[in-house]
Amino acid sequence: MEPELQVIFASVLLPFVAAIATPLAYRVLGERTGYGGAAVALACFGLVASQIGREGTVAVPWVPSLEIAMRFRVDGWALLFALLASGVGVLVFAYSAAYMHGEDNLARYYATLLAFMGSIIGVAFAADLAALFLFWELTSVCSFVLIGHNTEEDAARYSARMAMVVTVGGGLCLLAGFLLLAVVTDGAATFDLAWMLANDEAVRTALREQGLFVPALVLIGVAAAAKSAQVPLHFWLPNAMVAPTPVSAFLHSATMVKVGVYVLGRLRPLFLGVEWTLLFATLGLATMTVGAALAVIASDIKRLLAYSTASHLGLMVAGFGFRSAAGAEAGAFHLLNHALFKAALFLVAGVVAHEVGTRHLPNLGGLWRDLPVTAAVTVVAALSMAGIPPFNGFYSKELLFEAAYEAGHSAGGLAWAYPVVAVLASVLTVVYSLRFLSIFFGDRPSGLPSVHRAPVALVGPPAVLAALAAVVSVTPETAVDVVVQAAADATAAEAHEMHAGLPSHLTPPVLMSAVTVVGGVAAYPYSDRLGRGIEAVVNVRDALRPTHLYDQSLTAVELGSSFTASRVHNGLLRTYVVWCLGTASGLSLLGYATAAVQWPAMSVFDVPLAMTLVLVVALVAGVAVSVAPSHVAGVLTLSILGFMVAIFYIMASAPDLALTQLVVETLVLLIFLLVLEELPAYYADVKRFVVARDAALSLLVGVTAFVTVLLAGRRADDEQTAVAGYYAEKAVPEGGGTNIVNVILVDFRGFDTLGEIFVVTIAAISVLVLITMRNRGERR
Amino acid sequence: MKTTARIVVPIVLVVAVSLLLQGHNLPGGGFIGGVLTTAAFALIYVAYGLDYLEIGVLGREVESGTGIFEHRSVTAYKRTFVFGLAVAVGSGLAALAFDEPFLTQTYTIVEHVPIYHEIELASALVFDVGVYFVVVGGLLTILSVVGGE
Repeated sequence: MEPELQVIFASVLLPFVAAIATPLAYRVLGERTGYGGAAVALACFGLVASQIGREGTVAVPWVPSLEIAMRFRVDGWALLFALLASGVGVLVFAYSAAYMHGEDNLARYYATLLAFMGSIIGVAFAADLAALFLFWELTSVCSFVLIGHNTEEDAARYSARMAMVVTVGGGLCLLAGFLLLAVVTDGAATFDLAWMLANDEAVRTALREQGLFVPALVLIGVAAAAKSAQVPLHFWLPNAMVAPTPVSAFLHSATMVKVGVYVLGRLRPLFLGVEWTLLFATLGLATMTVGAALAVIASDIKRLLAYSTASHLGLMVAGFGFRSAAGAEAGAFHLLNHALFKAALFLVAGVVAHEVGTRHLPNLGGLWRDLPVTAAVTVVAALSMAGIPPFNGFYSKELLFEAAYEAGHSAGGLAWAYPVVAVLASVLTVVYSLRFLSIFFGDRPSGLPSVHRAPVALVGPPAVLAALAAVVSVTPETAVDVVVQAAADATAAEAHEMHAGLPSHLTPPVLMSAVTVVGGVAAYPYSDRLGRGIEAVVNVRDALRPTHLYDQSLTAVELGSSFTASRVHNGLLRTYVVWCLGTASGLSLLGYATAAVQWPAMSVFDVPLAMTLVLVVALVAGVAVSVAPSHVAGVLTLSILGFMVAIFYIMASAPDLALTQLVVETLVLLIFLLVLEELPAYYADVKRFVVARDAALSLLVGVTAFVTVLLAGRRADDEQTAVAGYYAEKAVPEGGGTNIVNVILVDFRGFDTLGEIFVVTIAAISVLVLITMRNRGERR
Repeated sequence: MKTTARIVVPIVLVVAVSLLLQGHNLPGGGFIGGVLTTAAFALIYVAYGLDYLEIGVLGREVESGTGIFEHRSVTAYKRTFVFGLAVAVGSGLAALAFDEPFLTQTYTIVEHVPIYHEIELASALVFDVGVYFVVVGGLLTILSVVGGE
């Protein structure tokens, strides 16, 4: 069944409209704006849910000249992601209303959060590369604003910038990758992703023929890795935890970081092959292991969850990386499961931080008496995260084990590393999940203050998520039927009926799960020693830390730009002139050289004597200006040059130009007379280098002007150009004037003239402003 | 110098206005007229100084001690170029009333040219007058502010 265009557009646009209205709504509703946001999210959820079971593409032209359209594709994968975004959105908005009590800048917070939700729904449905890129970058920008919510804090600013640099830098790679795709399919699809997916065989062949398959794959891979916090670009995610907890739950676990995974799933049918598996299965498993290891040594509960998020994103990437159907199923199913348990855990971390006042893991413990409901939520979510049967995380992890085992079994040799690493990472996952659980169980540390019950508004949203996780745990087949099967089909090369459930007989993947659970539980008592071991590895070399590299490269960029600025942009007008003229001339000459223009034949002998004389006088005057001993002499000789040019114009029958030249020349002379006495007679000793540079620059500009005139000028025997003929023909009947120059200025090219008089105005205003500011500077 | 200016400036101003008015059919136009007018004013400044226009011609008192930016002439010049800009833009907007595009870059006519029996009244002249005032106002602002330094 075809999707309904209006419904899809409404679900994408509604959050943006609400975001615009938020500042006004905030004046009326105050802190209850959060519930308004929840209502908007619920409306989006309803709109998206009404499209379940439909499939197809709808489009509205956007930039027809570039064949860009607001094209939305509805299928299981898009619906799953959009449902997650809006559904988790409802809970996060409701949670925010209580959590963000008494905070500043709430209007901005809610507006950004709403805009973010719109962007993420846009990413989910977008089937046009340009639109997808737009929504992708919008999520990065919203994330930047939300991470930097506390604008006064240095840490927030630092982390916001880091997230921005990494994710937007990745976004540029995405753009490059998309452009490669657009170039390859030029003429047939350009930016139409739906067409590309429908004709994946043709696109693949075209990519391979032009040798762009691997470049496009790598570029998109880098983009997805940056967005989804894959090694070695994972470092921004833990730093992003300075954001308010609802933001962490929504953006940095449930939705935004999954955009990379989502796009991988979307493009999987297009790129699936040996290179794909090698790149993404390896990347995903590496991230899974590194993230889990770092989560084991994290002492801040939010950082623990952040590293764990990176690890689970690695699981999804690895799942999509494997060729088998089980891989796609693992990725799609885990996208859902992870959103349910990880968003719940983040909200739990928020409750703990809110009620206890600390997020430091060693200071927390035995809280189940104080926060019983929260503890129950955590048990479900954490065991699901650990992948303990029968919780929902187990099913998707089991699918990953199946895919990894199949990959190892079919390829053999080194490919056996896939299942081994997957098990290792999962063991670590169990360890850190148990560590997280330990804040509710075990001994209560002595320093812990008395803790109030958390309000329903804070516990409700994570409880809903945990309840959903429990439902999926009990009847995984229901979830599969409703959304996951369709989602996995959309990301798989061929359809495959999916099953999820507890294993009934012993298979290698089941054995892997057993090893994971037993190994994890057995290793938990030694987690301190394990942590020390991991720390020893991490601390081997400072240079190996990605954060360190990031800081260093940022410092290098800053140094480089300040060095460039001091050279190019140093506040001296003459430097600017050198750079502007030098660049313009150099580029023009380069352009002529690369275009291999024809050198026109010319003869100097048929120039009239009078004209030669005038030009010779002008030349002499020009030389005289540059060697003039005083300002007065210089100005006067400059005027001679100007008047000679005017006479030249008259001889070349251009009276308007001549008139203008004469008048301007007079005015310039007068102005010089005004300011002459203010100029100092002596500046400084002339430096050889400066003279040489200026002479070279003058020569360069002269040569450029000369060549340009020679090449662009109309020669005597050329035909009149069409434009010139048009002007000459139409001047009297349409412009009503016999002075063609003036008719062109005011009639045909009125817009240009309007622009020019604006320039005159702006120049006048700038002079005013500059002189005012100079006076201020002196006073200071 | 002063004597020359006394004789030359009126002639220059008349020429400038005639250049502006005849610009559509003969050499001239708003820009040249504007620059020429500015040149005439500049001549006055060089010969008599900044305050001459206010004191000598208009017979007003000049408050001493205020900066060049509060100078009455400068304010008048600023108003002049704003006025010119308004006239130019307004003449473009007027075309909209006749269902013609506002100063489009195509080669269609932008202005309407109603032709009377003997005299031609081109609406383009309005635009040109706008150009004239912008040039006069803008250049004189620059000139007097820089000159005032």
